[in-house]
Amino acid sequence: MIVEAGQLALTFAFALSLLLAIIPLYGSFVANPRMLLLAKPLALGQFLFCLLAMLALIYAFRTNDFTVVNVAQNSSSTLPWYYQITASFGSHEGSMLLWVLMLAGWTALVAQFSKALPLLLLGRILGILGVICVGFIAFSLFMSNPFERSLPFFPVEGRDLNPLLQDFGMIMHPPTLYMGYVGFAVAFAFAIAALMGGRFDSVWARWVQPWALAAWLFLTLGIMLGSWWAYNELGWGGWWFWDPVENASFMPWLAGTALIHSLAVTEKRGTFKSWTVLLALAAFALSLVGAFLVRSGVLVSVHSFATDPGRGMYLLVFLLLVVGGSLLLYGMRMNSVRSQARYQLFSREMMLWGNNIFLLTACLIVFLGTLFPLFHKELGLGSISIGEPFFNQMFYYLTIPFALMLGLGPWVRWKQQQFTPLVKPLGLVFVAALILALGVLASMQSVQANLALLGMLLGAWVGVSALAEVMLRMRQFGSVTQGLTKLNASHYGMTLAHIGFAVLVIGVAMTKTYTEERDVRMQEGDTATLAGYQFTLVDVYDLDGPNYGGQAAELDVRKDGGYVTHLHAEKRFYRIQRTIMTEAAVHARLSRDLYVSLGEELPGNAWALRIQVKPFVRWIWLGGLLMTLGALLALADKRYRRKTPPATTQEVANA
Amino acid sequence: MRKLFFYVPLVLFLALTVFLLSGLFSDPRERESASLNKALPEFALADLMQPQQIWTPQQLHGETFLLNVWGTWCPTCNAELGYLTELRKQGIKIVGLYYELPRDPAFDAPFNLKVLQQDVAQKLQQNGDPYQFNILDLERRLSLDLGVSGAPETFLIDSNGIVRAHHIGDINPQIWRAKLAPLYQQWSQP
Repeated sequence: MIVEAGQLALTFAFALSLLLAIIPLYGSFVANPRMLLLAKPLALGQFLFCLLAMLALIYAFRTNDFTVVNVAQNSSSTLPWYYQITASFGSHEGSMLLWVLMLAGWTALVAQFSKALPLLLLGRILGILGVICVGFIAFSLFMSNPFERSLPFFPVEGRDLNPLLQDFGMIMHPPTLYMGYVGFAVAFAFAIAALMGGRFDSVWARWVQPWALAAWLFLTLGIMLGSWWAYNELGWGGWWFWDPVENASFMPWLAGTALIHSLAVTEKRGTFKSWTVLLALAAFALSLVGAFLVRSGVLVSVHSFATDPGRGMYLLVFLLLVVGGSLLLYGMRMNSVRSQARYQLFSREMMLWGNNIFLLTACLIVFLGTLFPLFHKELGLGSISIGEPFFNQMFYYLTIPFALMLGLGPWVRWKQQQFTPLVKPLGLVFVAALILALGVLASMQSVQANLALLGMLLGAWVGVSALAEVMLRMRQFGSVTQGLTKLNASHYGMTLAHIGFAVLVIGVAMTKTYTEERDVRMQEGDTATLAGYQFTLVDVYDLDGPNYGGQAAELDVRKDGGYVTHLHAEKRFYRIQRTIMTEAAVHARLSRDLYVSLGEELPGNAWALRIQVKPFVRWIWLGGLLMTLGALLALADKRYRRKTPPATTQEVANA
Repeated sequence: MRKLFFYVPLVLFLALTVFLLSGLFSDPRERESASLNKALPEFALADLMQPQQIWTPQQLHGETFLLNVWGTWCPTCNAELGYLTELRKQGIKIVGLYYELPRDPAFDAPFNLKVLQQDVAQKLQQNGDPYQFNILDLERRLSLDLGVSGAPETFLIDSNGIVRAHHIGDINPQIWRAKLAPLYQQWSQP
């Protein structure tokens, strides 16, 4: 019953999304305020019904209703209750419903929190979001129904959730990531509405910025959680694989990063309009391309859902209509938009232009690297694969100028900046960064130049520069304490995010250089030494989990005779899916991780273990976290909540 | 000129969709073997059972045959031995390329040919022996040159020693009929 109710709720949501896609947009062209006013209740109603549908699906999972195909294939009665809930979005069908729910959620948020927006603009934005909702709800309802039953024959037990997804990181990763992907739909809708109305001023930019920031925040957090999950769950200590689907999430992130910077220029200086609009379109378009790549089976990836050309075809047509249509509109409308502002070669505008160029180049590299195998094959040139070395090398070369510029950028004024006043403070920053970098490297066990020195130096340069810049700005308000409250929250947000980037760069460079790794054969009582740490295998015993068995290894770690920690590594065998999973033992400190994964049982009562010491690996996720916090801080800026007088009927009639 | 500039994103996007569309209808996992339509790579490898016999590509010329990559450690290979033996009875020449797993000096016992020979003989007795003889690729160099990605894999080699087909996975009656038998017919004609 509840399952049918869920199906019905999704059908209602579809009907409401159709109305939302038609009425307000039509109303905006015939200047009918009553039609425009309908947008908000329709958006809220649509969200409500999507929520009911999701709850019904969760109910089906919690009650082990194996007559529902989706439940039978992705859950089991032995699955712990929290994974039964997350299993509801573990499959293609369920994750699509989650995607729809989040899209409807963002639409409802826009409807609820945009009192400052003119009625006409709001109606158009919600209408465009409605069009996107129609596409995805129809896809969920007709092409991948999560409520499908397999009556009268149904299994008595489910096939269980993919063990890879049975992890805390996996509970959080998909919803956060989807919030980010789908969140860019809002900036997209703002851009289309602006293209329709022809208004792209700094007020418009100030309206879009918080939505772009919020989407970027979730995407950053989602990507970071995915990386953290892979590190803990895949058992070999990697944190980024350049897998096509990771790349699919990284591309909108790069475009989104460029977007929030470009929006800042449009807001402050009323220029870069064609960039900003294009980036707003691109960020969401890349999210859609990503969804297509994951769900169509065009690329091979560990993340791919079961493939179905029908679904792929649907998504491709949808992509063509939405993105193709919006880019056509962009081509038609953009040439009438003129940017007035003038600026010199050495100015904040040029620095941010450089930022856009670098981020888009990075995006293009990821794009080509990901899709080149497809192009190559479809052109009849045979199969090739592009792997880590290509991406690593490209990003190595891109990061150097990008980080150098990032350290400089915030110091440079709008319009025009004299070079000489910056020489002294930036010289000091550089010296401080150099001392810091050398100091840290000297404290490492071995001094290896190249990558570690470069990474430390670039990281320290960006970090010290960001700190020094914010101190300087505070001092301009008199004392530091006075300035502390006067500076915008968004300025602190920027500083924090830039420091996050610095931390990330340091983490990547140090981990890449200093990671030590050994594969060892150990019996109980054996000790292996790595990077000064003595790992002693104390005990290996059998595990008995709710839906898995396997072995667990207990290790003691000592350094210089002193006890450091106790490690617990597991190798699980999930009974229903017959899959082996490693649960690595990780002892995390800011300066290094101790990482042990348990391998095969070897003849002679021994075990294969992989032991790694990974200096600074935490910094990678810490950097991501700081960026997320930076976005959160920027969102708190008062100027995004400034009221402008509500639109009148007269204004609508004039539009 | 400036006007057209703003249509560049649209044009690029449309070009992309063409590729995505054609990508939808092809299998990303399917790939052309690099060794196809080329002569067998040079090798000089010992026979598994009579190690004094050294096999080179030239000795294999003159007859179309199947080169079957296998190992006793590979369950799928063992499973296909039965059907391959049937094919041998139908007069198809099958040569085994014995693919030995890499050894880790820290963990594994050193390589022992006697043990392996016993192992192989036992497996072939149990499941049927489809092979005229087996070539031992201890260092997997020939397998690597042929582009072997795992076992079982089977190559169709024509009478001039040219690789004409590369099949990944096991051979069963259906695959033989649908894919390999027509190719075998085609290339075994004089």
